[in-house]
Amino acid sequence: MALEQALARLQDFSLPTQIRESDWLFPTIETVHVFALVLVVGTIMTVDLRLLGVANKERPFSEVASEMLPWTWVAFGIAALAGMLMFSSKALTYYGNIPFRLKMICLLLAGINMVMFHWLGTRHLEAWDRGRPPLAAKFAGGASLLLWACIVAAGRWIGFTT
Amino acid sequence: MIEQFCDWLSRTGISVAFQSANWFVPLVQTVHIIAIAILLTSVYVVSFRLIGITRTGRPLAVLAAKSTPWVWTTLCVLLGTGILLTITEPARELLNWAFRVKMLMVMALAGILLVVQIRLRRSPEYWTESPSRRRAARAIGIAAVIIGAGIVTAGRWIAYV
Repeated sequence: MALEQALARLQDFSLPTQIRESDWLFPTIETVHVFALVLVVGTIMTVDLRLLGVANKERPFSEVASEMLPWTWVAFGIAALAGMLMFSSKALTYYGNIPFRLKMICLLLAGINMVMFHWLGTRHLEAWDRGRPPLAAKFAGGASLLLWACIVAAGRWIGFTT
Repeated sequence: MIEQFCDWLSRTGISVAFQSANWFVPLVQTVHIIAIAILLTSVYVVSFRLIGITRTGRPLAVLAAKSTPWVWTTLCVLLGTGILLTITEPARELLNWAFRVKMLMVMALAGILLVVQIRLRRSPEYWTESPSRRRAARAIGIAAVIIGAGIVTAGRWIAYV
């Protein structure tokens, strides 16, 4: 299959090979990945918990979101880059790994959830920015919380199955 | 001594039960990581303000007061899940120097947070009152950020050393 050939070629490149064969490169990249991911999850959950009315209830939603989300994107960029480096070192193994696929599906769903929320969920933001979000926005917050928990769980599960 | 304790603990009924359920460790680790996410974010929000990376928004005293329950609740969750993981694989944790370094850093971070919170409770302006206090706040904030990253790093390296 063409994709598998491409993945085989990817993991034979010099950097992926170095990551695979070194004693310390993979754990180091993984540490960066976990550190960045922890901040992605923490900042996103802060926003989700505001939507659900659990935390930061007294502050406008837009304030919480604009305080947290720039950090989310920086951390996500770092986590994604480190994740791609780890993937490249054993591309074929990860490609065939069920928890890895589940993690990617959850990431995609979290992305779709976020885009939907931005398009539809914030249309009448002025009306609820300082108060309780409408049901759709709460749903988006709950879905995000659940999906990111699944992303962490699936990510941890990869380590036990590869 | 510690070896014997690990040996004994790993043979107890509860440890054997945890070991035999292969979903147990990944599940507990997942809860552990999510709790770290909330803890580290709470700590960094306060630390970034102490350092001066973020300057706008709520006053430091309010920021710290709001984060206090989250910090100590997640620390309790981390302690609980950490104990479960240690019961399951005692030698993996207790005989591991990365684990020991991690525990020292956890204690250091908890101490720092306690000092920051207690001072702010006595006086909301404590960390901004004078140039020397502002310098101290900056140093403490930087220390908390580095120790927080160190805890995550040592935690991940438990699996490799």
